[in-house]
Amino acid sequence: MKEVKYPQEVLNKMKEIVDNCMGDAPPYCEATCPMHTDVKGYVNLIAEGKFKEAVKLIREKLFLPASLGRVCAHPCEDKCKRAEAFKQPMSIAALKRFVADNYDSESDWDTSMEPEKTQSIAIIGAGPAGAQAALDLRKKGYKVTIFEKLPVVGGMMRVGIPEYRLPRDVIDFEYSLLDKMGVELKMGVEIGKDISFDQLRKDFDIVLIAVGAHKSAIIPIPGHDLKGVLSAVDFLKEVSLTRKFDIGQKVAVIGGGNVAIDVARSARRVGAETVHLVCLESREEMPAHTWEVEEAEEEGVIVHTSFGPERIMDKDGKVCGFEIKACTSVFDEEGKFNPQFDENVKKVLDVDNVIFAIGQIVDHSFVPENTLETERGGRFKVDPVTLQTGIENVFVAGDASGRSVIAIQAMAEGRKAAISIDRYLQGQDMYADREFEGTYETWLEKEIKEDEIDLPRINTRKIDPEERIKGFEEVDLGFTEDMALKEASRCLKCECKLCMKECEMLNDFCECPKELFSKILETGEVDPIIPYSCNMCNQCTLACPKDFKMSDRFMEVRVEMIKANDGKSPMKGHSAIEMHQALGFSKIFNTARPAVDSNDNVDSKGRAS
Amino acid sequence: MAEKRTKRVFIPGCSLPSYSPVLVEKTLEYLKEKLPGTGSILKCCGKPTKALGQVSKFKERYGQLQAEIDKLGAEEIIVACQSCFITMSQYSPNQKVTSLWALLPKIGLPERARGIGKNSDIVFAIHDSCPTRDRQDIHDGIRWIINQLGYKVEEPPHTKENTRCCGFGGMVVPANPELALRVMKRRTSEVGSDYMVTYCAACRESMIKGGKKAVHILDLIFGGPWTSKSEFPGVPGSPITSWANRYKSKQAINRVLR
Repeated sequence: MKEVKYPQEVLNKMKEIVDNCMGDAPPYCEATCPMHTDVKGYVNLIAEGKFKEAVKLIREKLFLPASLGRVCAHPCEDKCKRAEAFKQPMSIAALKRFVADNYDSESDWDTSMEPEKTQSIAIIGAGPAGAQAALDLRKKGYKVTIFEKLPVVGGMMRVGIPEYRLPRDVIDFEYSLLDKMGVELKMGVEIGKDISFDQLRKDFDIVLIAVGAHKSAIIPIPGHDLKGVLSAVDFLKEVSLTRKFDIGQKVAVIGGGNVAIDVARSARRVGAETVHLVCLESREEMPAHTWEVEEAEEEGVIVHTSFGPERIMDKDGKVCGFEIKACTSVFDEEGKFNPQFDENVKKVLDVDNVIFAIGQIVDHSFVPENTLETERGGRFKVDPVTLQTGIENVFVAGDASGRSVIAIQAMAEGRKAAISIDRYLQGQDMYADREFEGTYETWLEKEIKEDEIDLPRINTRKIDPEERIKGFEEVDLGFTEDMALKEASRCLKCECKLCMKECEMLNDFCECPKELFSKILETGEVDPIIPYSCNMCNQCTLACPKDFKMSDRFMEVRVEMIKANDGKSPMKGHSAIEMHQALGFSKIFNTARPAVDSNDNVDSKGRAS
Repeated sequence: MAEKRTKRVFIPGCSLPSYSPVLVEKTLEYLKEKLPGTGSILKCCGKPTKALGQVSKFKERYGQLQAEIDKLGAEEIIVACQSCFITMSQYSPNQKVTSLWALLPKIGLPERARGIGKNSDIVFAIHDSCPTRDRQDIHDGIRWIINQLGYKVEEPPHTKENTRCCGFGGMVVPANPELALRVMKRRTSEVGSDYMVTYCAACRESMIKGGKKAVHILDLIFGGPWTSKSEFPGVPGSPITSWANRYKSKQAINRVLR
């Protein structure tokens, strides 16, 4: 057969399939996960009881499966098809925790890396962003040193998220991978104090800032500077490091997010008898997860929704009360934060402390003024694609650039920075092919079958609220094996590949039509066995949500192959057809007979009456 | 003039005449009786060349068939093969193309066939042909016929417009026989009954290769009653058998339309 030159219109129709086939479309959970963990993959391994393999699959993307299994805000679950259909999303994080807690062993960890490179990288901060970047860069062979101000690793996971949600030994165990990989950790070293930022830039080829946002925002209401007014960050940090805090009997927390909840629940644990949580939002609008609010209330936290701060009252310079007023709306018609209050509805809470938990800002004071551009909240300004700053060998990852809010986003930003740094050091294009980093929208369109059963989500076991507030014991006990197996088996395994379920032949040659036709477009070639294995039954087209006619495409390929092969099929077996056709048109086997009269009911023109 | 008397032609196709000259003969006799003015042509429509992608060869061959149809002056073509139905509907715009399976409900079944299977102990699973998956009139006609015959039926999970290929389509058998056999087995594996009925002779062979006992629907009309004690037709031992049948079919046509 001569080389086949496919006409443009034939190629165009293939391209239409390549552009729109959903065969390679990731499920909603995986596309939503900033780190693109193969959720469907590991959840179904769990369902099959292959727990070790599940951990291995998770670890291909995440070095903190047990930590994230506890604290990840799991945006994946919000996008789970079971959430959309039945409001009963898969319990993805808890499944991850189950296998990580029970089947993760250090001996299985992948510590392989590329040969040592000469360039050195300094990372400021050992939180999830810094640690992820460190691991990715170390894997590439770079010399990586992390400078951490605190005596402990984990960043906000360690000093923000309370111990009752994330036991510290879990963090230390998972972070031990950094040591194993040869990442150097300089603990208790503060940049800007122990070593100047400029010195760091001189000593290393690259500096990655991953300092997080460790300063609480304060609203300048009357009394905000009184003794007894605290910031969430300082409070949580001290509680995390000491399990103690010198706090009054009665406390008010301002804020409706996860941090405010953590503060309120921690306050109960360090001795506060009465804890009020005050937020502008209504219950439905609260940024904190519903279950967190519920758990806080179980522990006795009194939630005042739709209230904002008026003033903090004092007696002899010490907090003695907190006046709050009704909030009628948080956002204006344009969706901007613009709270409106009813000045006639006010109440006074009898408290000894007020803790601000309304958001964190970045402390950038370690960088000399006018060195790096900063934005609102003290965040460092970066190129959104590369995370590079105005200084070309200085990058920023995680909360410090304001681009992440939760741990898994911070890790994704760390990974993004690592990719940029590697490309920068290798002199490669820093902008190419970066559209699928972080959360993206999948091009999958999955319909829930009408007869799909609403299997309820299985909830993890928790210790009794009475017991909880006595200390920092972990509240959530996770799944038992039976629970994990049952929960994992609810996965709808979202994918398209509907044609692949129908067609025997496609499965012999590809994962999906997109893959098959991409190859043809790339190489300009296709093995004749492929087009000549199509039964032309169109079952694939019937199944295809896009109605792609794969059989027509294969037929067009056949036509071109015949042209390139002097009118003959390139398939050996088809010589039999040539013979069949020769005989089928031969006089020996042909006849053409006119009608003959068989009865009298025929008119003169031979038509039946 | 003989040509002018021919209002329509019965074109049995290739696979049916290669399978059973008797069924070709009996069908033509019945059509001749019920629809005077029926001629017949035994010639390939050229679909196999088209399936291979031989565009010009197909045009040339179809042209030969069209010339025969025009020569007889037929206004209507009656087909027993679903590939013929599709091909001729597309390439003979001046003729009305009628499927035998949509026609029989209109003209009725032969007297002896009605109720012939009502005491049979067999359940026939129906295998629809995939080229005419969107022809509800054909699906309905087949079910009307079997119902008239009195046999019990099974509908496979994939049936009618959602039918699965028998494995023979697209000239895959000579190109990739191992795959074709898998497709055949997959089709038969979704059927509970050991017995299947098709309305394409090639599909019938595929069902047998897939491990079932299978008949052509014309076997049910002109043969039987079929029971679990009956001897079921197999697959031809060699192509020579098929060509011999084809030759006998030619003779049968010439005999009926003498």
